[in-house]
Amino acid sequence: MQILIKQVTVIDSQSEYNNKTVDLLVKDGIITRIDSVITETADSIIAENNLYISSGWVDVFADYCEPGYEQKETIETGINAAVAGGFTHVLLAPNTEPAVSTKSIIESILHKAKNKAVTIHPMGSATQNAAGKDIAEMLDMLCSNVVAFTDGWKPIQNANLALKVMQYIKAFNGTLVQMPIDTNLSAGGLMNEGINSTKLGMAGIPELAETIFLHRDIELLRYAESCLHITGISTAASVELIRKAKKEGLNISCSVTPYHLALTDDVLNTYNSLYKVSPPLRTETDRKALLLGLADGTIDCIATHHHPQEWDAKTKEYEYASDGMAIQESAFNVLWHYCKNYVSIERLIETLTVLPRLIFKMESQSITVGENACITLFQLKNETVLQSTSVKSKSKNNPFIGNKLSSCVYGIINNGLCVLNRNND
Amino acid sequence: MPLSVKHLLGINELTVEDIEQIFKTADNFKLVLNRPIKKVPTLRDTAIANIFFENSTRTRISFELAEKRLGAETISFSASGSSVSKGETLIDTVNNILAMKVDMVVMRHSASGAPWFLSQHIDAGIINAGDGINQHPTQALLDAFSIREKLGSVKGKRVAIIGDIMHSRVALSNIYCLLKLGADVMVAGPPTLIPKHIASLGVLVEYNIKKALEWCDVANILRIQLERMQKPLFSTLREYSLYYGISKDLLDSLSKKIIIMHPGPINRGVELFSDVADSKQSIILNQVENGVAIRMAVIYLLSGKRELNEQM
Repeated sequence: MQILIKQVTVIDSQSEYNNKTVDLLVKDGIITRIDSVITETADSIIAENNLYISSGWVDVFADYCEPGYEQKETIETGINAAVAGGFTHVLLAPNTEPAVSTKSIIESILHKAKNKAVTIHPMGSATQNAAGKDIAEMLDMLCSNVVAFTDGWKPIQNANLALKVMQYIKAFNGTLVQMPIDTNLSAGGLMNEGINSTKLGMAGIPELAETIFLHRDIELLRYAESCLHITGISTAASVELIRKAKKEGLNISCSVTPYHLALTDDVLNTYNSLYKVSPPLRTETDRKALLLGLADGTIDCIATHHHPQEWDAKTKEYEYASDGMAIQESAFNVLWHYCKNYVSIERLIETLTVLPRLIFKMESQSITVGENACITLFQLKNETVLQSTSVKSKSKNNPFIGNKLSSCVYGIINNGLCVLNRNND
Repeated sequence: MPLSVKHLLGINELTVEDIEQIFKTADNFKLVLNRPIKKVPTLRDTAIANIFFENSTRTRISFELAEKRLGAETISFSASGSSVSKGETLIDTVNNILAMKVDMVVMRHSASGAPWFLSQHIDAGIINAGDGINQHPTQALLDAFSIREKLGSVKGKRVAIIGDIMHSRVALSNIYCLLKLGADVMVAGPPTLIPKHIASLGVLVEYNIKKALEWCDVANILRIQLERMQKPLFSTLREYSLYYGISKDLLDSLSKKIIIMHPGPINRGVELFSDVADSKQSIILNQVENGVAIRMAVIYLLSGKRELNEQM
């Protein structure tokens, strides 16, 4: 199978063709030729105006809900959403039922994800059943190619246990992934604590619930000399804390969600539960700080926090509605639409490709002759609208459905498979 | 003149003209309520459902009386013993009631914002009878109406709201209503019961009760809502009553006579002592009486009927 991609602009800081517009030939899953013009015939030719190519994108935190919550998402529908979103690699959160706590569950997930265009990396839980009580069998899970350990939506609250996990994973160069939430300080809270929560009469989640937790984990990291990734930071203070910790030389990295870069708690003025997420949407000051943190390298990668919820789980009183957005397939559209005035396309692509692979010790990829074709194709158009009818995820709890956004994912090539999006206009 | 809104969700949605219109209409209904026959047949072809997902005695009775005195047919139910306890959703519950040709819904709910959510999913008019820790707009209207009745107007008056500000929907809707009508507003109580960002709404914040009482013309004392507190927010009721409770001695020590209000039910001996609650400075029972007139006015104005003057 040969695929010829005509006149495509390479965005890949590791490639000699970076920023060049070239023709590119893929044969049996390998990039076999890159040239200014290729006249060879191919089984399939992709020729589009304004087409860009980069290494395949990595989502470092998503939830596909299987096993246990198949009414929200399955491995299959999740992979379809990833393809539509341009992701070739997805790290899955372990908050399934049962939690991803054993080698056998990991292997069953990998089995379901076999022979797909998207490579799935299930993250194992750091504590048994992600219950925050005892250390999970991380060494055993490591044998199944797990790249990181996390309790996902239920970050480890007990400081001693978090410390022990950080120490335990040093033996095998593991990474602990923590969502920065102190659940004592956030208890009962429904949105960011601030002027808007006061106006709306809703209990707030203070910035403090994030920064205290982050402070604590940075101290534990310094003591344990381990490796920590903070997923989904949401406040300006967190950006500053991570910046300082990195300057000090600690082995810390972090990610941000597309929606924290795009939205603030102003959108909650009608109590719309589609905007109920954890950590909560913060203020414009926080959003700006996150954008600057993404631009200056403090923030390393993008975690979509793709969190599908069925209609019934969201269409209820805000207080009772479940958290989360199923945003994976519109992640890049949202990112480019809201980041383009702050972050170059080169930098944004770096946070989706090179950096997550480095941080999570995955095989590196590059747009280079002889490399595996692990590719995302995209366009930077003025207006794209994700229609409700073309949503690939099993759940539609995505407030960006119907919005005009300014980019478009054209397709991916990975694992010898090429999947192009047809409904993205 | 009809109101600018289809529902009464919160105070912010109302214009000052809306509030004045509600007050003028309530003035008329108050006259009706003091006649031997306390009813008008204005809403005789209207059915109203009072849906209370949270316990309520005075608000529910006040709404029911207001509806009956307008001639409406009413049905009332509370969450316990209904299909809600069997797991039915809010939208299903309300749509089932509306399918029986109900025109208007009065709802109390424990979740902030629930009436806004409901308004996006049903066609009938909605009156918010209290949502979570957010708003209780008819209480705010009747409180402002009672101040206007006692002092002639609300504009320029100093109102201190005292006690559990954090868990009180009365506090927030009163703040919105009083500020809209030109009053100066202060909130006072233990710092743990006052939201951190409350000053951003344009109110003064005071932790010393005596200073708050010295400042104000009207003190609206709020109930300590022990049932809503999930965290330890103050030491003991004894200490609260000693340092934040309003006693006769404290009132008598002030340099002027202020008006005492309370939305009820009162925790006597906690936030308010009986010799204050029952004193001449208290207008607590006037508030209750005005509640019926205000609710009649709101229901009538939202119903869109135009025949009031003929019937009165």
